[in-house]
Amino acid sequence: MTPVQQALLVLLLPLASAAIIALFLRRAGALAAVVSVAACAGLAAVALMLVFGGARNFPASWEWLRLGDFSLSIGIKFDDLAALMLAIVAVVGLCVHVFSLGYMHDDGAKARFFGGLSIFMFSMLGIVFADNLFMIFIFWELVGFSSYLLINHYHERQSAADAAKKAFIVNRVGDFGFLLGIVMCYWLNGTVNLTTLAEHHVFSSAVPLLLFCGAVGKSAQLPLQVWLPDAMEGPTPVSALIHAATMVAAGIYMLCRIEPLMTPSALTVIMWTGTATALYAALCAITQRDIKKVLAYSTLSQLGYMVAAFGLGSLTVRHEVGGAAPEMAVAAGVGAAMFHLTTHAFFKALMFLGSGSVIYGCHHEQDIFKMGGLKSKMPLTFATFTIGVLAIIGMPYVAAGFFSKDAILHLAMEKNTAVFALLAFTAVLTSFYMVRLWILVFLGAPRSDEASHAHEGGLSMTLPLVLLAVLSVVGGYTAIYGHVFDGVWSLIPHAEGVSVLIVSLAVMTAGAGTAFVVYRPAGFDALEQKAPGLFGALVALKESFDLVYNYYVKKIQQRFAMLLNFLEQIGLAGLVIRGGSGLVGLLGLGARALHVGNLHAYVYWFLLGAALLWAYAAGVF
Amino acid sequence: MSTLPLDPLLLAIATPLAVAVAILLGLPKRHSIKLAYVGFAVPALVGLWCWANFPADLGAKYAFFSRYSTGLDGLGITLALGLNGVALPMFVLAGLVGFAAGVYAIQSNAERLKIYLMLLLVMQAGLMGVFASVDVFFFYFFHELALIPTFIMVGVWGGRDRGYAAMKMTIYLTAGAMLSLLGLIAIYVKSGGGGQTFDLIMLREALAADPIGVATQKHIFGLLLFGFGILVSLWPFHTWAPLGYGAAPSSAAMLHAGVLKKFGLYGLIQIALPLLPEGAKDWARVLAWLSLGNVLVVGFIAIAQRDLKQMLGYSSVMHMGYAFLGLACFSVLGVGGVVLLMVAHGLSVALLFLLATSIQQRTHTLDLTEMGGLAQKAPVLAAFFVAATFASIGLPGLANFWGELTIFVALWHFSPGFAAAAVAGVVISAVYGLRSVAAVFFGPPTEALQKVAATHPPGDLTWREKIPALVLLAALLFVGFWPQSLSRPLQSTLTASFRMLDAPRLAAGR
Repeated sequence: MTPVQQALLVLLLPLASAAIIALFLRRAGALAAVVSVAACAGLAAVALMLVFGGARNFPASWEWLRLGDFSLSIGIKFDDLAALMLAIVAVVGLCVHVFSLGYMHDDGAKARFFGGLSIFMFSMLGIVFADNLFMIFIFWELVGFSSYLLINHYHERQSAADAAKKAFIVNRVGDFGFLLGIVMCYWLNGTVNLTTLAEHHVFSSAVPLLLFCGAVGKSAQLPLQVWLPDAMEGPTPVSALIHAATMVAAGIYMLCRIEPLMTPSALTVIMWTGTATALYAALCAITQRDIKKVLAYSTLSQLGYMVAAFGLGSLTVRHEVGGAAPEMAVAAGVGAAMFHLTTHAFFKALMFLGSGSVIYGCHHEQDIFKMGGLKSKMPLTFATFTIGVLAIIGMPYVAAGFFSKDAILHLAMEKNTAVFALLAFTAVLTSFYMVRLWILVFLGAPRSDEASHAHEGGLSMTLPLVLLAVLSVVGGYTAIYGHVFDGVWSLIPHAEGVSVLIVSLAVMTAGAGTAFVVYRPAGFDALEQKAPGLFGALVALKESFDLVYNYYVKKIQQRFAMLLNFLEQIGLAGLVIRGGSGLVGLLGLGARALHVGNLHAYVYWFLLGAALLWAYAAGVF
Repeated sequence: MSTLPLDPLLLAIATPLAVAVAILLGLPKRHSIKLAYVGFAVPALVGLWCWANFPADLGAKYAFFSRYSTGLDGLGITLALGLNGVALPMFVLAGLVGFAAGVYAIQSNAERLKIYLMLLLVMQAGLMGVFASVDVFFFYFFHELALIPTFIMVGVWGGRDRGYAAMKMTIYLTAGAMLSLLGLIAIYVKSGGGGQTFDLIMLREALAADPIGVATQKHIFGLLLFGFGILVSLWPFHTWAPLGYGAAPSSAAMLHAGVLKKFGLYGLIQIALPLLPEGAKDWARVLAWLSLGNVLVVGFIAIAQRDLKQMLGYSSVMHMGYAFLGLACFSVLGVGGVVLLMVAHGLSVALLFLLATSIQQRTHTLDLTEMGGLAQKAPVLAAFFVAATFASIGLPGLANFWGELTIFVALWHFSPGFAAAAVAGVVISAVYGLRSVAAVFFGPPTEALQKVAATHPPGDLTWREKIPALVLLAALLFVGFWPQSLSRPLQSTLTASFRMLDAPRLAAGR
């Protein structure tokens, strides 16, 4: 198979699976699961062949629509960046598919679930392969749709229905800017092809900032972050795949795709948005009781890290080549962001699947204060989850998160001290809330019937955990990937000296230590008792955005709509039209006086009309 | 080119008409229904056949062209039938929606079904005729042929407020038709030169050589704009639409909102733009501002609706705003986008009205606040409705996306401000679309609904409802995945015979 055929096969396998499930397997959930998992396994195998086969930048583009001079293409840009993203999506996707076999085993709507997963894989892979902005936008909308379907899986719950709707609409708000940015880019540069744009484009800050709006929606950055915590209404494997590892990271991937278009002022905005999100979400995570919500806020925070890393921009480094050491700018932001995206995909998918395993084991209990003692009940989940925690808090050399977080901190230290301080403080918080979660879920004695009867899931659930745990350990050593991603890895900034290492050790220990001091495995929130003022402030901070948006939707938008509706019913349809019809009625009365019911009179009227018409046609007046 | 022994376009018009006449002459009900299937299927099949056999490089010509003498040839009136790249998509649309509406009407088992079907068949014949006519006289004649049955169907078979709705619709649409007739006659009168004619091809040639004076063009275009505009529910002349569609029986709503309403836009594209280019340019700003009324004002009004069909009516009015904006761009891209959007909107709105009736039959209400949780009882219905809603809010993979996207791109060149305002509409349509889906299908069922469900347990879609829905959804998906199937003929016709349209220039080239 040529690389193009391989890529098309990867893209179309999940689409075929979704189509087959939708058309024929609606009632055959078990078979649908098999079809979907088989398609995912097939695409993962072909994808890894493609990635490690080494073929890059092969030409593949098809014109899809042409009107006037406007032409839109579907094409493939397969460089190291795309290859890396493809590998992540394929591997994490496969893990989640297999995990779902166990987790969703007893679900009544399995066919819909697995069909949704397949549509998602198709849409996500489309973003990965896309060679132009319009194509990214097409699949961007489609991932939003699959996300809507899957959040809405338990649609009989009002909260799930609301969350799905919210996710789609909030994303649409971001896409408003994204689409305008694409259109503006088209008219400014005459093309939206990524390769052509990288070579030549008009300098403008508006374009990257508008495009960034799309990332703000999809990657849930401030102020559009509100949909992601609610999206946890979806089944846990969905949270792992879509709302942690891949789709929400698509915003960062897209930013890396358009990196050549960036301007310093755009980068500054992006950097601060990311930093603010990282800090805000970490503060919110501290007060959460729901295991998935903690992880959701943690995802937000880590996405903020990646966005901030991207915004920090390029770094001037010396390359010592044969004695000479020329200085050159390296897109270090891209390297650091993508590196963290990679390790985060592994460890966050691991933790979400781990939480799925916990929830499954505890018979759908999600409150961490009702868990406890799962260390002995679910040893494998405990071990793998612990690896995830070590990765996210950045345990040096043991787990992957350390390397990628270090790269970001190093970059921040070089570029912007304020951002560095805030990100370091975020790291303290991260370490604090993750250790809190870990203590409450796994240590001590079970605090509910569900927790005391917890049990490990089957092989289909443990196997993905193990695989992701291994990747969360070794994934930080870029050497294990061979040279296939060198185009990205060569951009990663590497700290020289030990200053960053000391900082990250210090922040990790500070956060974890505080958590050990504050929390004991108990059925109440110790922080709430020890510092109610602080706790209350954090809760208020978390709720502030939702309050504002709810106020807007309920009080402003709805009332504005009602007002317009009222004006239309009363003003337009009532007064103007009815009034108009009254006027016409009066005229009609007058006209009726002419209709005397006498045939002769009508003939005269007719002749008069005909004469007037003739006079007009003859040009008399 | 045509390998059929008959003229396919005439066949598509005459078959439903002949069936209607046969039913009128007293065919028994059983045979009437069988024959009605034929009457609805033939136009759809002819449409698909024409699509499949459409010549690749048509240029300025018409395909499947034929001319019949009418006895009024001296007045320049002949029955000239043919399809160009703009007419073809609409012709196919009319065939498909007509088929779906017809099949749905047959299964609806309405009272006085025979007369109902007869009226629908007449409407169908008129619709096929509108888009097949190359002669302005017959173009108008077929429109009236299709319009009059609509009024009767709303007035007799309609739902709540049918009397008022039918009256309002009649007044508005007749007024619109009269204004546009005035404009068309003015063109006929002013075309002067070598003998007056209604033949569009000759009119184009005559007016290309000897255009109407700019001042007169502006007047005539104004007449056509507001005449056709009322027919397409241009803001603020739209209030008939939500009311009418709310009251209309579903098949009539499908055919009118889906197809007949587009007559006005189609007339502006085929007649007004090429014959009155200066007038069109002059009115573009006004048109664009009014269209924003459709997109933003009516969009917000749609959010406030509690009645499902009213909501659909307003959303349909809102989407017409995009179409008008596309026209205002005055470019091949914009106008092509309008045609794409007309086809997509026709399919999706017909599907939505069909499904809304199916929902109403199960919930015994259209009030969004009294529904909920229907997806548990009718998952297939839910899936169709979700798909149709996502089509109408412009999800890629479904036809509407291409129409909206091309219009947005064209609009930026017209004015970035208008483009931004129009794209904001995308958020608004997501709000009301998803809100209605959630209100009908998701969450726990309301008490009111549980009471209804206790006495009339709601079932899922039957096959006789599914078949018309599938036809429409398949077409949406086909165009959604394969937009070239429509854009190629459009591109060929628009670039060849619409030379007056701007070729947008890229800023980079300046």
